[in-house]
Amino acid sequence: MKGVIFNVLEEMVVEQSGMLAWNQILDTLAIEGVYTAGESYPDEELFSLVGSISEKTDIPVEILVGAFGERLFKGLAERNPSFIEAESTLKGFLKSVHDVIHIEVRKLYENPNLPDFEYEDNDGDTLLMRYRSPRKLCILAEGLIRGAASHYGTSIKIDHPVCMHKGSNHCDLIIRFI
Amino acid sequence: MSESDQEGAYKTAYEREKRARLKAEEVLENKSRELFLKNERLKESYDLLQKQQTAMLQNEKLATLGTLAAGMAHEINNPLAFVKSNIESLTQYHTSYSRLISFIQEVADELSEETKTRLTILFEEEDLEFIRADLPELMSDTAEGLTRVRDIVMNLRSFSRTQSADRGFANLVDGIQSTLKLLHSELNNSVDLKLNLQPVAEISCNANELNQVFLNLIINAKHAAENQKRPTIAITTHAVESDIIIEISDNGCGMSDEVQQQIFVPFFTTKAVGEGTGMGLAIAYGIIKDHGGEINVNSIEGKGTTFTLKLPIN
Repeated sequence: MKGVIFNVLEEMVVEQSGMLAWNQILDTLAIEGVYTAGESYPDEELFSLVGSISEKTDIPVEILVGAFGERLFKGLAERNPSFIEAESTLKGFLKSVHDVIHIEVRKLYENPNLPDFEYEDNDGDTLLMRYRSPRKLCILAEGLIRGAASHYGTSIKIDHPVCMHKGSNHCDLIIRFI
Repeated sequence: MSESDQEGAYKTAYEREKRARLKAEEVLENKSRELFLKNERLKESYDLLQKQQTAMLQNEKLATLGTLAAGMAHEINNPLAFVKSNIESLTQYHTSYSRLISFIQEVADELSEETKTRLTILFEEEDLEFIRADLPELMSDTAEGLTRVRDIVMNLRSFSRTQSADRGFANLVDGIQSTLKLLHSELNNSVDLKLNLQPVAEISCNANELNQVFLNLIINAKHAAENQKRPTIAITTHAVESDIIIEISDNGCGMSDEVQQQIFVPFFTTKAVGEGTGMGLAIAYGIIKDHGGEINVNSIEGKGTTFTLKLPIN
């Protein structure tokens, strides 16, 4: 996982619970906590941090990961405003993730291990995003989509009828634009 | 300074450092992006350079072969001329020799017994009857062999051509269409022909020679595709800036990279012995070069081949 993800997680914890709480979490896990945006760090380290934050805040991991997804969108959008500026609508932005944004990300980072997205758009008020990733972070993806919706000021509802956590090899995220 | 003032100062300093780090990361990302794009451009240039180097080596090799072929053709042509002339004379001499043999046989009875016996022994020892019967065939076989040698020498001269004789303004689309008419019986019902011949400007050229190139390429395409379920040949013409582009494609067996490297080399052929001279594409190469153009091949084994001709609009 790239350091920028850890950076935004730190920002979220510091905003919500203060610097002391973040330092205590690092101490508890005996982690140094020095993260540079372009470097890769073990996925397990991020999962340990999320687990520890969940324990400390009494927020279930699933809800915490979803909320982090929303905050992560904001953090990434601040760091890479050009990706957002290029698309004027939420749907346009979501459809650009796989073929535009992920291509750009690959220019910046070697082996970023990005998830795969396929799209089904019937030009109506729904968009199907088919998510595939060995990390199975579909809840984080949902949070990121909500973060994007909030940025574009668009109301959405996300259905998640097919899920990798229920034995499928992909997740179907159906975004309804309200 | 109170403890909370001190804490506030550290917080301000922390936030300042954080902004500095974010700025540094942004600079790094911009540089990474620039580096990535430059690297991509470098890769493209390198690939192009490699292709050009291969083409240059191929051109140099063919130019050397052209010089060699011209020299060989000249050297062979001189003795060939007198050998051919001698064979024609010998054919005439044979008639005289044959008449002499017939005459001797006619007058043999008038000779003394002893002379007659000696003559008969001589005829048998030297097998003169057989020689008389065999000579015409030997002569005609030799003449045929010499004609083949002459054709090969002419082909070599065509490959190494340097003269631009018989030039006139001609329309290449007309040339392709007349070549297709010539090949009508050859292609009819055996090949699916797809034509997209956009009108192109007339150019100063030797139309007969260019038609020979079209003929060679179309025949090759037909042979390459003949084992396919639906043999297809596609011919397109169009103009790009100051060039006319002609593409002749087939959906045939294609060629390996090794074969593609050799196809313009004189006498190189993948056809069975006796079926091809290996000069068709070498001559086509010579003709196109003589017109200041380019001939390129793009082939994928099992998929097909496209020959692209690029001829300048003067």
